Amino acid sequence: MSLGYVLRRLFSAVPLLLGISVILFSIIHLAPGGPLDMYTENPAVSKEALDQIAAAYGLDQPVPVQYVLWLKSMVVGDWGYSIRTGRPVLTEIVLRLGPTLELGGLALLLSLVIAIPLGIISASRRGSKLDSSLTLASFAGISIPVFWLALLLQLLFSVQLGWLPSAGYKSIGGGDFMDRLSHIVMPAAVLSLATVASWSRFIRSGMIDVLNQDYIRTAYAKGRSERGVVFLHALRNAMIPAVTVIAVDFATVISGAVITETVFAWPGIGRLFMESMDGRDYPMLMGLMMMGSLGIIMANIIADLAYAALDPRIRYG
Amino acid sequence: MSIVSFEQGDELPIRRVMVLLSRGDRTKTGNSRRGNSRKGNRQKDEIMTFKLTRRAALQGMLAGTAALTTMRALPAWAQAKGGTLTVGLTYEIDTMNVYSTGFLGDAQAAVVEGLLAPGADAKYVPVLATEVPTIENGGIVVSEDGKTMKVSYKLRPDVKWHDGEAFTSADVKYTWEAVKDEKFIAESKDGTAEVESIDTPDDLTVIVNYNTILPTFASTLFTFGILPKHVLEGTDLNTSSYNETPIGTGPFKVAEFARGQYVVVERFDGYWAKAENGDALPYLDKIIFKMIPDTNTLLTQLKSGEVTMVVSTPYSQASQVQGIAGITIVKGPLLSWQHLDFNFKKPSLADIKVRQAIAAGIDRAILSKAQGGFPQPISSPVVPVFDFYDPNTPVIAYDPAAANKILDDAGYAMGGDGVRAKDGERLSYAFMVQSGRADDELAQQVIIAQLKAIGIEATANNQTGVAYREARYKGGYDLIYGRWITSADPVYSVFWGTGGANNGQSYSNPALDAAFQKFENTLDPAIRKEGAAEFQKILADDLPTISLTTNVSLIAVTDKLKNFVPNPTNMTNFVHTAEWYMA
Repeated sequence: MSLGYVLRRLFSAVPLLLGISVILFSIIHLAPGGPLDMYTENPAVSKEALDQIAAAYGLDQPVPVQYVLWLKSMVVGDWGYSIRTGRPVLTEIVLRLGPTLELGGLALLLSLVIAIPLGIISASRRGSKLDSSLTLASFAGISIPVFWLALLLQLLFSVQLGWLPSAGYKSIGGGDFMDRLSHIVMPAAVLSLATVASWSRFIRSGMIDVLNQDYIRTAYAKGRSERGVVFLHALRNAMIPAVTVIAVDFATVISGAVITETVFAWPGIGRLFMESMDGRDYPMLMGLMMMGSLGIIMANIIADLAYAALDPRIRYG
Repeated sequence: MSIVSFEQGDELPIRRVMVLLSRGDRTKTGNSRRGNSRKGNRQKDEIMTFKLTRRAALQGMLAGTAALTTMRALPAWAQAKGGTLTVGLTYEIDTMNVYSTGFLGDAQAAVVEGLLAPGADAKYVPVLATEVPTIENGGIVVSEDGKTMKVSYKLRPDVKWHDGEAFTSADVKYTWEAVKDEKFIAESKDGTAEVESIDTPDDLTVIVNYNTILPTFASTLFTFGILPKHVLEGTDLNTSSYNETPIGTGPFKVAEFARGQYVVVERFDGYWAKAENGDALPYLDKIIFKMIPDTNTLLTQLKSGEVTMVVSTPYSQASQVQGIAGITIVKGPLLSWQHLDFNFKKPSLADIKVRQAIAAGIDRAILSKAQGGFPQPISSPVVPVFDFYDPNTPVIAYDPAAANKILDDAGYAMGGDGVRAKDGERLSYAFMVQSGRADDELAQQVIIAQLKAIGIEATANNQTGVAYREARYKGGYDLIYGRWITSADPVYSVFWGTGGANNGQSYSNPALDAAFQKFENTLDPAIRKEGAAEFQKILADDLPTISLTTNVSLIAVTDKLKNFVPNPTNMTNFVHTAEWYMA
């Protein structure tokens, strides 16, 4: 793995991002309605006033011109102003990124810690009752709707037991570590359920593939214990397919978890996206989606680098 | 012209609302008997009903005493300082500036005050002014040519801004200048264009010179709120920190604005108003407005006690709330009604016979029942709160047999598929409501079933957000069901007037336009009433719309909160927070 390779990959991301931005910009503007609709339904706002507002946001220009204007300022680091709140897009995003990273990061950490052992146990006890129950549990985990699970947890832990706050980021006037922990537990648990379920499946199947290889038999033949075979010979190779999935899931963290954040009133990126979508807040939507795209591109680069780290046969030059 | 209408529950800027308040006498329909065995009875008992009365005695009452007067009928509670009220809102507060927020200004109303506020029985009450200007008290002077008018306000002395500065007439004039400024991106600039100039002969006198006759002057500019000149002059109002922590004159000042989470407002000790017994106001220490986008989560918070007030409980969730100990549902009137409208571009819907048949095919009683029995059947878009409501407005009674006969006679023959047709056009319609609004979707299903019984097919084609508004204003539907709210000074021409801003139906009727003209361009109540009776009759005869039921607001609130009087609009539920206290 060389620095040159990384630089080349980063460089090739530029035209990709450009292409993505053209597509996103077009799609946003193709969607019916626009940010000024909130004014047009108000009979008290005159045509002149509307034109002024349109001019203030550059909405009076043709879409391609708007795109070029947007791109020009984006290149120099100006993400524009939110039409909904009138505040800089970057300020709003940075404000929401913290809570989203906390929630997403904790959920992914939980998922890793739980999914890897589950996948390994399933694979090495393939066909056992334990494996079957884990398979069943995984499908249940993937299938349970987030909002429903969230509601059940809220009713149990907040209403019945009174142990945890049912929603929100922190208490008013509170905000110390324990206070925030009590707020994050339920959303993180809900959010990690589906990832645990899917990751453990990937790790299981990767593991099974590897465990059928000749070199594993050789390792057993040499008298290695099962534990030694699984951890020293199999795990690293079994992780390669899983890394792709995990890396992309990591990338989506910065796009926020729309449903979980809404149900738990979590002040993150996902909710910001929903609110912005509803008001057709073009600059804000572009900012959010570009950030999401960048995250996914970066995650893919990191995943490729991770392959090389896991498998010395893979070299990029 | 003031904007007067918005769709209840609409998420985008439509706060133009200043909807009137009809507060009226507070009458309990029964004591809260928790031990009552029958569920039906218990539910009824736990809902307090606020009956509307039109008592002239309430008119012109001072803002500070209006609520107290209505409270005298209730048992006396010791009024003590202190306590925190936690309100759950389903939207995210965008800005605290009353002129640029896209939502109903719930939190804003506790912080920022105007010269007037909509008070009891659709009448305005003075807040920062000492009286409501009228022709009788000389506050409104119409020019000799009858084309312009002057409105004078005497301001309340000894009013302080939250930073301790004195409130004066210069602030009022500045508010007009700041909102009118073309650089300021406002959600609404209502009432600024009609003002020619403002004179401030002294600190406590404001004379507004209008370039026209504006009967709705009280529902706009100075009622929304006054901006502090000493803080804002020379700043950019679009990016000012005022938008997060506004300086107002209200009973509460903003302590913390956590975006996407909550706004905390706390008692302003220098508030101008005193209670009747001499107590300093307000009583409450704090009001917390929590932003919780999901209604299920909101109800959970109500159950766990994390929220103690929800101002807009959906009808469908009222029964859940009634089971929560310590929470009462307060039922307040709304200047809102539910209606079915037709798109006249559809040839069969332009046929009065079809519209009459549809009117006869809809059972309002079932519609009301489906929504928990809360909305009441009506016959006119003018809700009965207004004194220009005409009780003699004709209404087509529910009679499916008659509806079928009308269609048979008009040549709409029943097809083999159970849908009528004439000249190759099947009576099959795209039927739109705003998706995601459970109450509307329920009503839609009821109407679809009822229309089926008279050989008319309606298919749900629901939209959300901007797509919905786009379709609504441009006529992207055949049938549309929704609910409008009007202000205390309603203007109806925007709905069914030729080219009206909210007329997406392509409906035009010169006789109706004339009646609207008569109603909306005079300060004379008698002429207004006459015009109102005319347009109500024309609407009932020509049926561009079928007015179906009223709406009520269901406010879930802790039993501990006293002196709370419901307000018909989200915007003004928090207008008179000063007297609220915790028992």
